[in-house]
Amino acid sequence: MNTAMDDGRQESPGEQTLSFRAFTDESAAPPAASAADEEGPVPASASAGEPADSGASPSGDEPSDEGDKPSDEPEAPSDEPEALSDEQPSAEPEAPSDEQPSDEPEALSDEPEVPSDEQPSGEPEALSDEEALGGAEASFDEEPSGDAEALSEAEAWAELMESAALSDPGGGEPADDDLRLADDEPEGPAAVRPEPSAWHFPDPQAEQGSDDSRTGQVSDAQAVHAEPVEPAAPARPVGAEQAAVERPPVRRVEPLPPEMVAALTAALDALRESVTDLRFGLDLPGAAEARQARADLLAQLKDYVLPRVRTNTAPALIVVAGSTGAGKSTLVNSLAEKNISRTGVRRPTTGIPVLVCHPDDRQWFTKGDLLGGMRRIDKPSPEDGIGSLVVVATEKLPQGVALLDTPDIDSVVEEHHEIAHRMLDAADLWIFVTTAARYADAPAWNLLRLAKERGARLAIVLSRVQPKAREVVLKHFGRMLSEYGLGEVDRFVIGETKVVDGRLPDHEMTDLRLWLAELSVDEDRRAQAVHETLNGVLDSFRTRVPALARHLEGQVAFRTELRADVEAAYMSALAEIDKATRNGMLVHGEVLARWQDFAGSGDLMRTIQFRKRGRSGRQAPERVTAFRAALRAGLESVIVAAAHRAAEEVVARWRHRSELGGTIGAGLERPSDELVRHATRAIAAWQEHVTELVRTEGVAKRSVSKFVSFDADSLSLIFMVAMFSGGTVEGVPHRLVNALLGAESLRGIGAKALSDLRARIGMLFDEESMRYVQALDSAGIPDESTATRLYQATYNLEVAR
Amino acid sequence: MTAVTTRPGLAPRLTALTKIVELGPGRLDQKVLSEASALLTRAGDRLKLSSEHTVVALAGGTGSGKSSLFNAISGLELSPTGVRRPTTARTHACVWGLEGAAPLLDWLQIQWRHRFARASALDKGESQLHGLILLDLPDHDSIRALTDTEADRLIGLADLVVWVLDPQKYADASTHRRYVTDLAGHDAMTVFALNQADKLSTEELAELVIDLNDLLRREGVEHPSVVPTSAVSGRGIDSLKSVISGAVSRRRAAIHKIEADLRRLERRLTETMPVGEALSAPASVDEARRLGLTDALCDAVGVPAVGEAMENVYAERSSRWVGWPYPRWLAKFRPDPLKSLRLEDVSDEIRGITTGSVSAQAAEVSNAVQALADGLTVGMHPVWRTAVHRAARSRSSQLPKVLTEDLTEVAPELDRVPGWWRILKIWQYLLVGAFIGGLAWLAVGLTVPGQLPASLQLLGDSAALPWVGLMMASVLGLGALSGIASRNFVVLGASRERERLEREMRRRVAAVSETMVVEPVERELGRHHAFYSAMRGLSG
Repeated sequence: MNTAMDDGRQESPGEQTLSFRAFTDESAAPPAASAADEEGPVPASASAGEPADSGASPSGDEPSDEGDKPSDEPEAPSDEPEALSDEQPSAEPEAPSDEQPSDEPEALSDEPEVPSDEQPSGEPEALSDEEALGGAEASFDEEPSGDAEALSEAEAWAELMESAALSDPGGGEPADDDLRLADDEPEGPAAVRPEPSAWHFPDPQAEQGSDDSRTGQVSDAQAVHAEPVEPAAPARPVGAEQAAVERPPVRRVEPLPPEMVAALTAALDALRESVTDLRFGLDLPGAAEARQARADLLAQLKDYVLPRVRTNTAPALIVVAGSTGAGKSTLVNSLAEKNISRTGVRRPTTGIPVLVCHPDDRQWFTKGDLLGGMRRIDKPSPEDGIGSLVVVATEKLPQGVALLDTPDIDSVVEEHHEIAHRMLDAADLWIFVTTAARYADAPAWNLLRLAKERGARLAIVLSRVQPKAREVVLKHFGRMLSEYGLGEVDRFVIGETKVVDGRLPDHEMTDLRLWLAELSVDEDRRAQAVHETLNGVLDSFRTRVPALARHLEGQVAFRTELRADVEAAYMSALAEIDKATRNGMLVHGEVLARWQDFAGSGDLMRTIQFRKRGRSGRQAPERVTAFRAALRAGLESVIVAAAHRAAEEVVARWRHRSELGGTIGAGLERPSDELVRHATRAIAAWQEHVTELVRTEGVAKRSVSKFVSFDADSLSLIFMVAMFSGGTVEGVPHRLVNALLGAESLRGIGAKALSDLRARIGMLFDEESMRYVQALDSAGIPDESTATRLYQATYNLEVAR
Repeated sequence: MTAVTTRPGLAPRLTALTKIVELGPGRLDQKVLSEASALLTRAGDRLKLSSEHTVVALAGGTGSGKSSLFNAISGLELSPTGVRRPTTARTHACVWGLEGAAPLLDWLQIQWRHRFARASALDKGESQLHGLILLDLPDHDSIRALTDTEADRLIGLADLVVWVLDPQKYADASTHRRYVTDLAGHDAMTVFALNQADKLSTEELAELVIDLNDLLRREGVEHPSVVPTSAVSGRGIDSLKSVISGAVSRRRAAIHKIEADLRRLERRLTETMPVGEALSAPASVDEARRLGLTDALCDAVGVPAVGEAMENVYAERSSRWVGWPYPRWLAKFRPDPLKSLRLEDVSDEIRGITTGSVSAQAAEVSNAVQALADGLTVGMHPVWRTAVHRAARSRSSQLPKVLTEDLTEVAPELDRVPGWWRILKIWQYLLVGAFIGGLAWLAVGLTVPGQLPASLQLLGDSAALPWVGLMMASVLGLGALSGIASRNFVVLGASRERERLEREMRRRVAAVSETMVVEPVERELGRHHAFYSAMRGLSG
């Protein structure tokens, strides 16, 4: 038996009522049928007796009412005809919350399923027993099943507990336990009690309507918004269906004009290009998601959006997705009446997606661009891996629609999830299959959320529903859906039945089949569904593409930050060296000792001689050399120490920023191996340079040079000591060089020497910091302009639409 | 459930874990560390609580029939079952054998109203289940479970976990990826109940059991124990009961569970910090490295240069005391270029340097320390490498200052004048005096030999004059010779002095570096060693 689930929202949750719309009308009794339709959910007793209640009462707080109701309800099915007439008067007050007769025509335009009642195919008028079940279940978390069994169980074990009460300080008495038990079920036994009798009806009903029961899906949401348009028509004319079919759809659906297609295609191509250019090199938090989103976006553009825009009249692709073991393949097989997709008890069963279509549509699916990236095969075989798509044609399927059986979304085989999502991205309509055991699973709801985000047209099939559990589950699931904002989605129910040969019994499939047939025949509706989904996808680009761009900008910003860290660390290293060369820190240790040696041993005196004695003699070259070497070593150690600190600081800053920074900086927390060698070379070159400066520019001071000559090598050393011991210190070296070279030329040489030293160290450090830049670059260079282009492409797409 | 290999006792391994948790902060990844301390707390708590009881949890996805199975095992309708998903939101517990169970249930945080007891269990012939605490967990995979970690928590606490799977959901990623792949080594503590077997035909069931076994093996469960059950038909309940009672009656499940958890933690620890060669890393700073550090620090202070300077300055200075005076006097007549530059005071200042000043160059000191740490941490885990470096540098900001102060105490006095220098100087002047005397004699003898008073007649003795000349020559020669000789002595003494000075300075540098660098480094190395020893101890 097929039943449309009704989210129990329109009934007051507090009511223990059974309301179902039984289309007992065969073709012979259309007025009755329509009447029933109108009043479907209103139960004879409840709505008549407590109109106010049915609209508003929030929770099961009327145990006494419910107490007497159950006795009425079992009769309900048989009462139907009378009930209809009874309900009539109460229709208006309930209008906002219940399916209204007046809504029907309205709903037709939106809700394709309903018109199918009026199928031109002239099938026997479908029965729709819509069970809108009032329930005591106000919330679905804490409550244990809320059915009568629970209660009777509770009573049963309350007795048992007498012998088995856990020693508890508060009171081990069984009575207490019993009480606690009552706490456990917030609704309380009173609320639940009436239900058992109420739930039993569907079974006879099932027999009754099993063959051609029709699903009446009328969303309450639509009912609500439809109402003001056409208020409370008391009864629907027989011809309303036809009228409804001809009624202009909400959105005028016709093939897109060619110029618009061209504009859209151009905009989409531009978008695709800029998305293709995206690179998320840095493994920042969210980068994996962004890469995935980028891949998804690209695949969807290529597999679905572009082909769909180019040929917007193509058959609709209906993707069947859902949990493993939900019966997707069984469903597809049953609809196609052919065992095209393997079914079985092993989970996961289907690994390769299978597409079924009418032979006339086959061309489109095998040759078309839709899902262009997938290899088409005729038969699934084990060696065909990911990326294949089985295409099967069967006459049993109506034209204009194709079914795609997908792998699961939640099994251990994670590649399946990816394929399933890729299929869903290319879908015009989604059929989401879940089961009575699974409908609260988190992955299922993630998928539903995705569908909602994408604005995809969605139908939900709840399968493997045991007759016993039917009402509770339907109602509960319905409420969950409504709370999720999916209350108006088409829903189908398939009972737990014996699957024969991989197919479900025919009577379970009828309404789904009708739904398909309608889609096939009613091109407007199909096109509308297709367009809605396409629009939904295009709408989703408004957020998805900028999200990518934002992530890219985040990456660029992060990279800039890391670069800034490097700059800052080496800047401060340079500053440190600068300080060291000014504050006399260099004239310590060996340099100081060598200076004392140089001065105290009289070599200093010997460097200055009278001109007449000719060329300066090199009295103590070994001492000068040692002094020079000491200076070089001192300067070198300052540089190396600063470089060490800078390297450590860069890595520390990076690590502090994020884990990724630490990963990129791995192995870079020490200066490069060449640093010492390069530093030695640079300083030696600088010393040469200073000697040269002293030799060429230091000849000044005529008064001195007339009769005094000096050794440029030694003098340059004295000069360096003077320079490093700080500008203000009036030490021996300072006075010496001042006297020999003159203040002015000393300043000139000093400035030149210092800037040359800085330049050389700067070059050294540039080389060092280059390593970090390279590390960053090798991690991936996000192109900064791409983000702008993405925004531009999104904007252009909006314009083109 | 059997085949528990005898491993070293739990106690030493828990001690090792305690050590790891103690040494871990700042070294271990925060997540692993908190996991380790959580396990430590859990193990401690569990071992303190009733060892007579075995906590068995029924876990699984929503709708797999945990509550039905719970009721079937307990034989009572304790946990409400239903068709709405999810059904159970709070954990229910059933106890076989009450005494001592309450603290354990408190620890498990089972609400009072969800505790049930089978006090009369014995009369039902279930004595082998005595000591069982059966938990019916909420699901872990519904949308409700996204915000509720109750199931997670109790799966971690239970001694034995029965995973209730069903034909629809047995391959769900939510079960396998989150829990099963984590189960390696927990074979004995895990049972898989394939529930709802009544929904399948015999062949289907057989196929499914094989498939499930394969799946579990692929995920690292070496010996999966899969029990097909049906809460509806009662099939398999007894086998499941006997599996459970096996665990319960042995009273070892809690310990096995802790051991398995330890093994898992150990794997995780070794992933983040593999023991590898870590224990072969030095636990202390060896002699060669100490020497290397001292050498490097001596260079930073300039000890060899100070010694050399002292030697040279001595030699230069000594010439003023012990040298042959004549060349010095001659040099005085040479014009001084500094004087022409009006820098006389500079040379005075240079001469005025009385003490060799000693100071440490900060950059070189820091490089020396860095080099020591680098050498010690080769092949270490980066975290420890950083830690050792930090320890080495912990006092390096004061190090140059301390070195400078300490060594200045022994800085050479450059203006020291030994007594023998003075004696030699007197000797030299005596020789000069003798020379001048001889000169006067010669002058007198040669110019006015006849007019001398009688008392000085000897001076006029022309026969003595050659002898006087000879004496003068030898006095000159003696002066030059003694100048050269004493200079050599000065150099010899200076180099001996230098050696002594350098030795003393080295000694002091070594002492300073010992307290300021080596000790903190050794503390960290000891910590490193203790940590990895504990890691080894953990694996037993």
